[in-house]
Amino acid sequence: MADEIISIRDLSKSFGTHEVLKKIDVAVEAGEVICVVGSSGSGKSTLLRCINRLEHQTSGEILFHGQPVKNAQKDVNEYRARVGMVFQSFNLFNNMTVLKNCMAGTRKVLHISKEEAFDRAITHLKAVGMAPFINAMPSQLSGGQKQRVAIARALCMNPEVLLFDEPTSALDPEMVGEVLAVMKELARTGLTMIIVTHEMGFARDVSTRTIFMDKGYVVESDAPERLFTNPQNPRTQQFLSRFIAG
Amino acid sequence: MTVTLLNAAATPENSMGWMAFLMQKYANLFWEGTWITLYVAVIGTLLGFVLGYVVGIVQDIVISKEDHLVKKIIYHIMKKVAWVYVEIFRGTPMIVQGMIIYYGLHQADVKITSITAGILVTLLNTGSYMSETVRGGIKSIETGQREGALALGMSPVSAMLNVILPQAFKNIMPEMANTFLSNIKMTSVLNVIGVSELFMTAKTAGSTYYKYFEAYLVIAVIYLVLCFVFNRLFMLLEKKLAGKQEYVLAAEYMDNQ
Repeated sequence: MADEIISIRDLSKSFGTHEVLKKIDVAVEAGEVICVVGSSGSGKSTLLRCINRLEHQTSGEILFHGQPVKNAQKDVNEYRARVGMVFQSFNLFNNMTVLKNCMAGTRKVLHISKEEAFDRAITHLKAVGMAPFINAMPSQLSGGQKQRVAIARALCMNPEVLLFDEPTSALDPEMVGEVLAVMKELARTGLTMIIVTHEMGFARDVSTRTIFMDKGYVVESDAPERLFTNPQNPRTQQFLSRFIAG
Repeated sequence: MTVTLLNAAATPENSMGWMAFLMQKYANLFWEGTWITLYVAVIGTLLGFVLGYVVGIVQDIVISKEDHLVKKIIYHIMKKVAWVYVEIFRGTPMIVQGMIIYYGLHQADVKITSITAGILVTLLNTGSYMSETVRGGIKSIETGQREGALALGMSPVSAMLNVILPQAFKNIMPEMANTFLSNIKMTSVLNVIGVSELFMTAKTAGSTYYKYFEAYLVIAVIYLVLCFVFNRLFMLLEKKLAGKQEYVLAAEYMDNQ
């Protein structure tokens, strides 16, 4: 329990009368790489957005190191600075160069010195192979390059957990590879990650635990070697059937 | 006056001649008119832009259920005030606003020069239109930009200032140029409250010799030149804001590939 970074308790979320998350209970421990899989509309992304406070849950709570995150804007900001997020649509700031994108958070939120922010940016951009592009604007990059910069930008904040919301869904197959390679490398460093993805091979190879969601419920949560070979729930079996057969 | 007329070397024979004559004779007056037109338009527009940004941002505030009650009430009042202001100033002519503000303030014993009143009217008028432009500009920026900023831990205000407004600003630049050019010309209505801008200048210059046609032609040319020059300046600014089309690879980091 002591190293539980994020605990989701009895979390429900409705948009109007439509309930997209139903009584979710998930605990995330330090060093875990959790992949969340499931069909579109199963609530995966909403769960991630609730964790990051981009959506506010209807009921239930999310604990960070055992403490509920307060509603005050200041507390939310501090929490978000420690929980990074990578989006499907990259969301790089279009008015800033690659370098400025990677320094925006450290300068405006963490208020570290320019030199240190620069060093951090270069370190992480090198790690994702984007350091030569520091002067480029986001519009001048390919999708895969943008996503790698977005990952570097999130890493510059030294987050305790990094959330990925379908990071490769907007990319063509070639670019998917380059982004997944970066994420694989991150998983090896021991960074705690929660990844919503449709890349089943990646989930099986990289995650320490895979969660299958359907219609707003967490249907099954298990080590990938078990979930992908011997799923217990019929719905999980059905969803993974194509994949397991292959 | 008669003396001056008699002393003139020759009475102009056509309109072109009269224009040249008036320009020469009333050079100082025209210069002053041009200066005051620019003074009122530039200061009024710039302040109006600032007001427009503030009101536009206020109108864009989304009150969420989770907000504190006091915060909700304050936001609600701010939004209502902004709404009423925009409705009133977009819904009445500038010339009427000028009269009401100038004579209203005088009646209330507020000593205000006509130039100050003119700037006030221009800025209030500009602000009301600008706020809608700014609101549209903010709406034109995809929500991902804001979410990307919030996810880094930026406050909503910081996200607005660092990420959204710089992009919205670029998008609404052409409309800001429009507003500014329009304001250069709209200051002409301020002659009704005694601002000695270009229109007033032409009225004065034209009356002495009863050469209104020529006097107004003179200021038409001046307006045209002003607008032309400022339009070029805005185009330059827009080009500068668009940024470079190419970027240079940072060679010093190349070997790390």
